[in-house]
Amino acid sequence: MTAMEALRIGVVVCGLGAAVALAVQVARARAFGRRPLYAPAAGSAARGVFYAFGPGMSPMAKESTRTHPWAYALGVAYHLGVFAAFGYLLLLLIGAERVLDPAMLPGRALGVLLFAGVLGGLGLLVRRFTTAHLRGLSVPDDAVANLLTTGFVALAGARLWSPALEPALLATAMLLLCYVPLGKIRHCVFFFVSRRHLGRHFGRRGTFPLRH
Amino acid sequence: MSETDALEARLEALTDEDLARGLALFRGKLGEAEAAYLQTCVRCGLCADACHYYRSDHELASIPAHKLAQVAAVFRAHFTTGGRLAPGLGGARRFDRDMVRAWVEALFGRCSLCGRCSLNCTTGIHISEVLKAARGTLTEMGLIPADLLQVVTTSLETGNNMGISREDWLETVQWIEEEMQQDIGDPAARIPVDKQGARVLFTVNPREPKFFPLCLQASATVLNAAGEDWTVASEGWDLTNYGLFSASPAHGGAIAANLMASMERLGCGTLVIGECGHGFAAARWEAAEWLRQRPGFRIVSFLELMEEYFQQGRLRVDPAQVAERATLHDPCNTVRHGGIVEPQRAILRRCLADFVEMTPNRAENFCCGGGGGQLSMSRYRQKRLQSGGVKAEQIRRTGARLVVAPCHNCIDQLMELNREYKLGVVIKTVAEVVADALVRAPAQPREESHVPVAR
Repeated sequence: MTAMEALRIGVVVCGLGAAVALAVQVARARAFGRRPLYAPAAGSAARGVFYAFGPGMSPMAKESTRTHPWAYALGVAYHLGVFAAFGYLLLLLIGAERVLDPAMLPGRALGVLLFAGVLGGLGLLVRRFTTAHLRGLSVPDDAVANLLTTGFVALAGARLWSPALEPALLATAMLLLCYVPLGKIRHCVFFFVSRRHLGRHFGRRGTFPLRH
Repeated sequence: MSETDALEARLEALTDEDLARGLALFRGKLGEAEAAYLQTCVRCGLCADACHYYRSDHELASIPAHKLAQVAAVFRAHFTTGGRLAPGLGGARRFDRDMVRAWVEALFGRCSLCGRCSLNCTTGIHISEVLKAARGTLTEMGLIPADLLQVVTTSLETGNNMGISREDWLETVQWIEEEMQQDIGDPAARIPVDKQGARVLFTVNPREPKFFPLCLQASATVLNAAGEDWTVASEGWDLTNYGLFSASPAHGGAIAANLMASMERLGCGTLVIGECGHGFAAARWEAAEWLRQRPGFRIVSFLELMEEYFQQGRLRVDPAQVAERATLHDPCNTVRHGGIVEPQRAILRRCLADFVEMTPNRAENFCCGGGGGQLSMSRYRQKRLQSGGVKAEQIRRTGARLVVAPCHNCIDQLMELNREYKLGVVIKTVAEVVADALVRAPAQPREESHVPVAR
């Protein structure tokens, strides 16, 4: 087994480990139990969930995003970059990365996404440490999670042009995947769980979909 | 000993056993949803401006994410492996005396449970629901501000939150009935009491008979004008339920049971909650959960009922009779938590010549600052008035001279804001506006609906 193969297997193992750890966390949250609801619904829980994951995700749907367009844009860029980096990682693991030649359009598009992701991540980090109230809210997890993730996205971008950086990318991916269940990156799963609950709650009450 | 000192003394007296019991209580209040919410926050801070406390004081402790973090810290430290292994990484903290003190300040002192942060959370955390669970923990640990608890106790002991005796209530009803008859020139108009089998049981906030009889008179006028088959109850008539604010299902359930008992005793088909935000949320949404029983009758807000009357053509109004510019305040518990968003608007568009919306409005409207039991907690009065500055500014920007608020806690707070911020506005309920705009048909003989009351 070559060192590269070992790293790739390591990434897969860490990925599976992260998935299992996240699944355990969700299962433990579910073990807190769901109370039966007795009050008759005024609206539709399903419509509420649809709204929460659909129109409610629009930047115009919430004042918090409407009034902070830069923070919202940075967040979107960051997340697109992260998704793109994980997609690229998957291609590397199955040996299909050549479909993304940086000289061709798909490869260039990936490069743009990854670059935007790095800018988004760094922008959010700068925002966190230059905004008084965000500094006050922050804990070490905020810096660790951001640096690991942004580093991973940056290395994915660098690997696109320089195959020699692949070991560094794979090693960073392993670190990141090990960290996922420990810190705030667990929101990659809990975001969906929470938003579903929020949608159900406000959907039943007829508050969702919001009318402006 | 002042109320603040008494609470501080209770905090100081906490033993390890008390803290362990508190933790167990907290655990018992968490369900699947809350456990997920507590692991979702990414501390983006975008919820900050959603909170009227933060908007008015710009203090870190007022940011919803910070309040949530106080609760999440305990959850992490005690209920997650990561929090136990590396507490410093994500801010996990044990449930000790300092933490409990921080909870009291955050949950009672800086939150009206308005839920605006929940709608603005980028990750979908129902923040106010989590804070309510933690508040309930404090209440059951005996760490609730005494004046808030007193309101609950008065309700439990006397059947209404102002301790109004049955005799006083019935005398007031009779007096308001006479006033209404004179005012509308219809001696047949009634406020029926304990009318068995009436279609509608109308419930009342005790502030109306005590301080705002014109509000009750207006509601009665509308019900009479619509030709409703209705009644009030001689007992179990108070729609308020501060169990919602103590966040104790035991409190809430015991108080809600009064209304349910009245419905059963009188055999009415629809329980109508007068204009009171928290009373509506408590009766319509929470009571069934507290009592673990689906109600066998319909529970509606008076706003919904009035809108039904209009749709059925049972009320005729002339908007020219209420000519001044008016705006509408959205009580959090009626609108955001209650889902009653449009009926009040439809009513006011019919009754007002110059109706303008606040910005923002509907479910995005700001809390006035009087919710969450804040009006009863004297130790936080200054903070409450300061936080209400956001609402005062909203009102001022509309240029309205009349503020319509379908909630008595909101009305009390708005009246204080009116003085504090020199707004120069008049504040009314929706029913008062409808009554003002009513076009009254000449009095005609009608079927006697009055049921004699044992006074």
